[in-house]
Amino acid sequence: MIRASLSGAGATSVAPGLSAGRQFKRRNKRLKAWFPYLLVAPAVIYLLLITLYPGIYAATQSFYAIKFGPWRPVGFQNYINLWNDYQFWGALRNTFIIGSISLALQCAIALALAFFAYRDPWVQGWRIVFLIPMLFMPSAVAFIYKLFFLDARVISDILIRLGLIDSILAIQSSTWLSRGLLILADVWQWTPFLFIIFVAALQSQDQEVEEAARLDGASWPAIFFNISLPLMKPVIIVALILRAIDITTMFANVFIVTKGGPAFGTETISYFIYRTGFKFFNFGYASAASVVMLILTILVAQLVVKRAFVPARG
Amino acid sequence: MAAKRRSRGESLTLRYAVLGAWALFCVAPVLWFLSIGLRPRVEIITPQPIYWPTFSLDAWHMIWEDWPMAKYLRNSVAAIFGSVLIDLVLAIPAAYSLSRYTYRGRDDIGFYILSTRMMAPAIVAVPIFFLFKNLGLLDTIWALMLIYAAINLSFVTWIIRSYMLDIPRELEDAARTDGASDLRILWEIVIPAVLPGIITAAVIAMIFAINEFLFTLLIASTPDAYTMSVALANFTGGSDGVIYNAIALVAFLAFTPVFLVVVAIQRHLSRGLTMGAVKG
Repeated sequence: MIRASLSGAGATSVAPGLSAGRQFKRRNKRLKAWFPYLLVAPAVIYLLLITLYPGIYAATQSFYAIKFGPWRPVGFQNYINLWNDYQFWGALRNTFIIGSISLALQCAIALALAFFAYRDPWVQGWRIVFLIPMLFMPSAVAFIYKLFFLDARVISDILIRLGLIDSILAIQSSTWLSRGLLILADVWQWTPFLFIIFVAALQSQDQEVEEAARLDGASWPAIFFNISLPLMKPVIIVALILRAIDITTMFANVFIVTKGGPAFGTETISYFIYRTGFKFFNFGYASAASVVMLILTILVAQLVVKRAFVPARG
Repeated sequence: MAAKRRSRGESLTLRYAVLGAWALFCVAPVLWFLSIGLRPRVEIITPQPIYWPTFSLDAWHMIWEDWPMAKYLRNSVAAIFGSVLIDLVLAIPAAYSLSRYTYRGRDDIGFYILSTRMMAPAIVAVPIFFLFKNLGLLDTIWALMLIYAAINLSFVTWIIRSYMLDIPRELEDAARTDGASDLRILWEIVIPAVLPGIITAAVIAMIFAINEFLFTLLIASTPDAYTMSVALANFTGGSDGVIYNAIALVAFLAFTPVFLVVVAIQRHLSRGLTMGAVKG
């Protein structure tokens, strides 16, 4: 089921000493030692160009004041300003609040849906229907929610008709309603991502354990929480990591629906960098923020993600 | 078979109530958005929402006649196919190397490739913008192609690698005994055997490329390089305000082919989305 180990099956070396191998001359042997590197090199070089170059560029830029005119060296001033910038901290906090609530909701909903769906005879059908939101462009989803909640106020209208509220919801002037809107759009679009993975994990589990527990008289919630869920743990972790990466980079929804407002209450870190760099043309400052995020990303990647994706070495 | 597995006490009513409710939640906004695309503009933003609009193809004519929609579509298709092609050319040998050989640093190289997926687009946005500016590639589909390829390369490599690990080694060993070179084995035996994996990877790369928003927004500044995703944001400018019915139709125009392709590969989807960590 989980097989993320890099040193997993089939990864053993090309066995030397096969009959054909004996015919290789020494030169060929040396070439053979380099061969795997040659195969992987183009991809690595390409990625280095597109990640390392920007990394170095941003690191350099972050020590300069760059606004319209020529670059002016300012030492660590950008970083000091960043440390004192309540908008930067706010953006970090917003990203964390919106991301963690959204992720928790998606995980819980996807687990519940997967639990109900995976033994259903129409599981294929459910999967296709649930997938639909995921296949819309994020910018389109942003417009759906902008129109639904803000511009045409359909939700307010329905709630008023149902007698649940008295007047139109003032979403744009409420930080929490605006955050809720971003969370709702993200949950709507991306719960299927987790659902599909969880269903696959549940379907691939050994049914006999479950069967045995049931014969012993265990109830279905007990079976789910004590047997299925622990077995799914590695899959859940991998799926949540992938989702968490995408949530922290949330941009289109913020850009289109809330523009970070009200009062920066929904400004995510991506939007902060975009606004600093491309709206205020404060590129040195934006680069400093990028470098901080880059370091955080590398830390998380090394400490968390590496463990989840490369477990059980050797 | 599935029905017989039903546990004691599990109620079918509850199951279908939950699944049905979520299905409704998924589909209702989509259907309503479709109705936006097929109604005249005056019926979109009104004091009271209109639930039974008049049918109109205004927006359909508008996107083709008033906007260079055909050009946006061409840009999207060119940038996406180009990027997927770059990905496959780079990823197949890399995946083969990572799955079939043991050498020093292999695990680190593999993890480096994976870790590029974790980089938030916004982090590299500023430098990438200047990189393409210096290369004179701003506002071209070439820049989009290169950036989409970079975003998806980690995914594509890891998916294909996961499928390659599944091929029985005997198949290759037999060919090697017959004196076939490693490259020939890759081309004639391994690639055909992992074709489902390659297709899955290509489809997922395609979806991410269509969805990409931030880089496209920064790189494309004129209709020369606008793609469907960013063209949407384009419908908001100007004195007309947001032209929702055109946006809705463009959204469905991009959705339909993606939906059809994904339905075709849905069996492989869970494995692809987790880069091979979960086998569907």
